[in-house]
Amino acid sequence: MNLKQAFKIAAKSIAAKKGRSALTMLGVIIGLTAVIILVSFAKGQNKWLEDYYASMVDNSISIYAYKWSMYGSDESVAEDLYSYCQQMSDYLIGVTPMSQVYGNTTIKFGSKTITQDNTDWNSRPQIYLGNQQYTVCQGYTLAKGRDLTYLDVEKLNQVCVLGAKAAATIFDYADPVGQTIYINGTPITVVGLYEDSGLDEYSSKDRVILMPYTLSRLFNGNVDSGQFIAVAKDATSATLAVTMLNGYGKGLVGDNGSFWAENQNQYIDNSNEQSRMQQLFLGGIAAISLLVGGIGIMNIMLVTVTERTREIGIRKAIGAERKSIIAQFLIEACLICGLGGLIGIAIGYLGTAIVCKLVLGFISWPDMTVTVGSFLFSLAMGVIFGLYPAVKASGLQPVEALRAD
Amino acid sequence: MLIEVKNLYKIYNEGKENEVRALDGIDLQIDRGEFVAIIGASGSGKSTLMNVLGLLDIPTYGEYHLDGDDVTTLTDKKQAHTRNKQIGFIFQGYNLIPALSAAENVELPLIYQGLPIDEREVRVEEALHKVSMFDRSGHKPSEMSGGQQQRIAIARAIATHPPIIMADEPTGALDSKTGKHVLEILHTLHQETGTTVILITHDNSIAATADRVVRISDGKIIYDGPREGAGL
Repeated sequence: MNLKQAFKIAAKSIAAKKGRSALTMLGVIIGLTAVIILVSFAKGQNKWLEDYYASMVDNSISIYAYKWSMYGSDESVAEDLYSYCQQMSDYLIGVTPMSQVYGNTTIKFGSKTITQDNTDWNSRPQIYLGNQQYTVCQGYTLAKGRDLTYLDVEKLNQVCVLGAKAAATIFDYADPVGQTIYINGTPITVVGLYEDSGLDEYSSKDRVILMPYTLSRLFNGNVDSGQFIAVAKDATSATLAVTMLNGYGKGLVGDNGSFWAENQNQYIDNSNEQSRMQQLFLGGIAAISLLVGGIGIMNIMLVTVTERTREIGIRKAIGAERKSIIAQFLIEACLICGLGGLIGIAIGYLGTAIVCKLVLGFISWPDMTVTVGSFLFSLAMGVIFGLYPAVKASGLQPVEALRAD
Repeated sequence: MLIEVKNLYKIYNEGKENEVRALDGIDLQIDRGEFVAIIGASGSGKSTLMNVLGLLDIPTYGEYHLDGDDVTTLTDKKQAHTRNKQIGFIFQGYNLIPALSAAENVELPLIYQGLPIDEREVRVEEALHKVSMFDRSGHKPSEMSGGQQQRIAIARAIATHPPIIMADEPTGALDSKTGKHVLEILHTLHQETGTTVILITHDNSIAATADRVVRISDGKIIYDGPREGAGL
């Protein structure tokens, strides 16, 4: 009795019991597919979060001052706060008001018109209003042309700086610097272009159209700069600056919750904790699917113990050694679970590609360790429960095994 | 002497209240080329005797020499080899592997013997021809009648050319006409190849076709001699 013969006998046995072999395989396939898709998705989601927070600037501070007057936010509050920030140069590298152009915007260049209706969310440019420090506060690097200047802000110059993807959407990769676009009918000259930050398409960072915040009067009817972004020199300065700003802001608008300044560093810490929890959660679900798949394999294998015990009795009666029976069952289990495992991995990778692409917008492939680990787990389940009847029945006297029913 | 059994006992639940002596001191000698019928009522111990003689079961006590070898002390592996080479089994319930075709069932003992494929093919074909079942090679047991299945089982038993055939109620599940046919195959085999046949039966008319009859009752041999004196 050599290995080749055991292999032949096992292959014949599998081929002869197609239904049962397929059912066993199904357990392996479902388990592996579920694990691979879930774990990859968790990994992808994690990457999404990481990228999202990576787009944030270290030691960034968000400041919100909402003291609403009859005509929008109170401009004097905003101005006070703005000048207070500018006095904090010991702590802050820069500060900028941040607002957007509200309502439906139409961007025109030549014969091209971009509106909210004809452009999908992932490529629609986002119009932001800020000052000459917006670039440093949001972590941009200038690629071409010039940045916004103090004069642009003061003189209400109708100029803008474009993010790389916004430029690509409007100009189809032609050089935008010096061109004039029309935003809601207002001519705006492109003076600069930011470098591509390398973030994925779901990030709005590279879709920016930055204009002087003072143009807010033109588009929104007021200088609605209730929100500011500042960037501190380091983490300690950020903490100190937030404390100072909160003290000053509350003196300005009162302690009614309409003013707050916060350190963005805390979100990055939170996000790490959050993604760790999420990974644990999805990992748990994956482990359960693997276990359920394993129980499926176990069921099929154990249900056939009686039938297989008789078969072992017959094989022993016609002269099979114990070791050749065990070899046959071992090879059978390995072939079924191995083949099922490979199919499961294939479907898992395919499913991962589809699910990640649809939900996250990019593909996050599973780790090798997860793939190999869950494959080995399924194989082990198959081998343990496939060998069980063989080890048990092959030790019996043939007559006892033949009597099984 | 091919088979030599001395003082053979098979006792279940020994020493307990429900002790059963399936074999209660059997002495038996069977020579090469004999056709022996072992006859007895149900529960007489005749099947137990066959199982022990065929190394499908171990005796509680006693000596058993097969072709001069003491087989009670053989390892599991040697027992498997002995069953494979020396003995061909035919069971009442056929005991074919349901998932395998007729030819594959017949081939199985040859695979365990380690024969190369071309030789196996020759042997399988020869064995199937002997039982006139070659045209059913590819059929599964479930696609065949009882008589046909039993003929496949016989083909499997003779494929290895064993010196001994042991048949436990081979006609028990068959109608009298097919039973007679199966019996004829065993007799032809005995006459043509000189194979020793041990036939276990409860049926007088079947036992009456054997040269020698051994009658068992309550695990003891109560008659051992030519069929003429067996009172069949």
